[in-house]
Amino acid sequence: MSGFRAFFDKLGKNKFYVMIFKNPFTYVTGAILLSIFQVVTLAVTGEPWGVSGTFANWGAWLYQLVGGNVDKWYYFSSEGAQATLARGFLDDPGTMRNLGIIFGALAATLLASQFKLKKIKSIRQVVAAVLGGLMMGYGARLAFGCNIGALFSGIASLSVSGWVYAIFLFVGAFVGSKLLAKFFM
Amino acid sequence: MSENNMEATTSTPVAAPEATEATDGAQATSIRRARAPRKPKKNQIPIGMLVVLGMVVVGIVLASRSSNLGFFWMTGGIFGFILQKSRFCFTASMRDPVISGSTSVTRAVLIAFAVTTIMFTAIKYGAASMGLPIPGSSYVVPISFATVVGAFIFGVGMVIAGGCASGTLMRVGEGFTMQWLSLLFFVVGSLIGAAHFGWWKENFIVHGPSIFLPDHFGWMGAVVLQLLVIALLYRAAMLWQKKKMGTDE
Amino acid sequence: MAEFALDCLGEACPVPLMKTEKKMAEMAVGDVLVVNIDHSCAMKNIPEWARKQGHNVEIEEVDDGEWEVIIEKTK
Repeated sequence: MSGFRAFFDKLGKNKFYVMIFKNPFTYVTGAILLSIFQVVTLAVTGEPWGVSGTFANWGAWLYQLVGGNVDKWYYFSSEGAQATLARGFLDDPGTMRNLGIIFGALAATLLASQFKLKKIKSIRQVVAAVLGGLMMGYGARLAFGCNIGALFSGIASLSVSGWVYAIFLFVGAFVGSKLLAKFFM
Repeated sequence: MSENNMEATTSTPVAAPEATEATDGAQATSIRRARAPRKPKKNQIPIGMLVVLGMVVVGIVLASRSSNLGFFWMTGGIFGFILQKSRFCFTASMRDPVISGSTSVTRAVLIAFAVTTIMFTAIKYGAASMGLPIPGSSYVVPISFATVVGAFIFGVGMVIAGGCASGTLMRVGEGFTMQWLSLLFFVVGSLIGAAHFGWWKENFIVHGPSIFLPDHFGWMGAVVLQLLVIALLYRAAMLWQKKKMGTDE
Repeated sequence: MAEFALDCLGEACPVPLMKTEKKMAEMAVGDVLVVNIDHSCAMKNIPEWARKQGHNVEIEEVDDGEWEVIIEKTK
């Protein structure tokens, strides 16, 4: 067992391992790498990267679990939306991509030997998470997406909507920062 | 329990005699005082490798159901890995200029905009010149009061919750229970948003124009214009940080 | 030449950075602040902020996913 342990300790100190898996990348490296896979996504699937649209489907499936029905909702009335809902959670590509992000981040943290379960510390954090989550969910539906779909993919797609989104996102972030300093610190 | 277990990212704890002697910032001496020895850290690399292996297996199973599912799963994993490694955070790009004056994340985001603008347009132009439908056109969406309200609410929410959609997913994987909760309520909020969507659509979204820049400025003109805007914002971000922090690094 | 500790374990971004900024403003030149964090982003943005301000900074990984950022106020 000690040989096993020694092997991974040695690996963790290897120059190249440290560079790729231990130390963080610079923000610019991250920007370039994300851009490459954003382009690959468009080239392969014909659509750019999006995240939050899938959350609405998750909401619909959760609602169905508790006996709700969204068939009459305007939002889910298109054939595409109905087909996605009918296929279900496990056969939805968007779901798989979002789950992939979770597991990819988990793997990155573990490979850096930096995983820690961070428990909620205060009621203040609970309020922040609930309010912030609700606001993001609602806002993303009105604006056709989140920072990925509406902002990153919108701007990359030469859509003016992406820039309008960026301006008011910044105004929101400004107000949010002030609220955070006042109520959540 | 060997010394190897005690490791540090940038420094090893040296038993400096007193911090008072090392105030000139010499890198050779630690600025910290001696501290009690740490318990040895666990090595999580084997677990990390098991997770990667598990992801590959899941990917193969998914790909056997449909290549699309496998592709989305794989790119999701890659996006998650990159986001975590670089701590790339769209929330920080909008928030840090306000909070600390730092624009390093903002400028990285602008670089990503510039790179993808060029590459996306190449793909779109290629499709258009071959008479094929332009990919990704569904992301050119109407601009209306709903965009304004939605983006504003989203901006407030992401700062309070400590992460946007991609950031929340990444932090769920990193083990932040706070973001587990915000993900749940993100989903609930999306459902409420979807429930009200018809009203917003009827009153605002239908009246909003969808503006695809190449329709107005031509392919080349649109790219040049957008890159110019990005360059100006980049310059502004540098000046902002210089003003707030005294350095434009 | 006092040494202060700031416990930001369990705090999410940007709270650790905001608390650090506030604490540093109260300290005298030559004082040392030890910030305890377990937020992977703060482990990048706090040192970055402090370096840009011209302070001396060291990061020490004290446990899996836990860091101490040691900042010496220089001005």
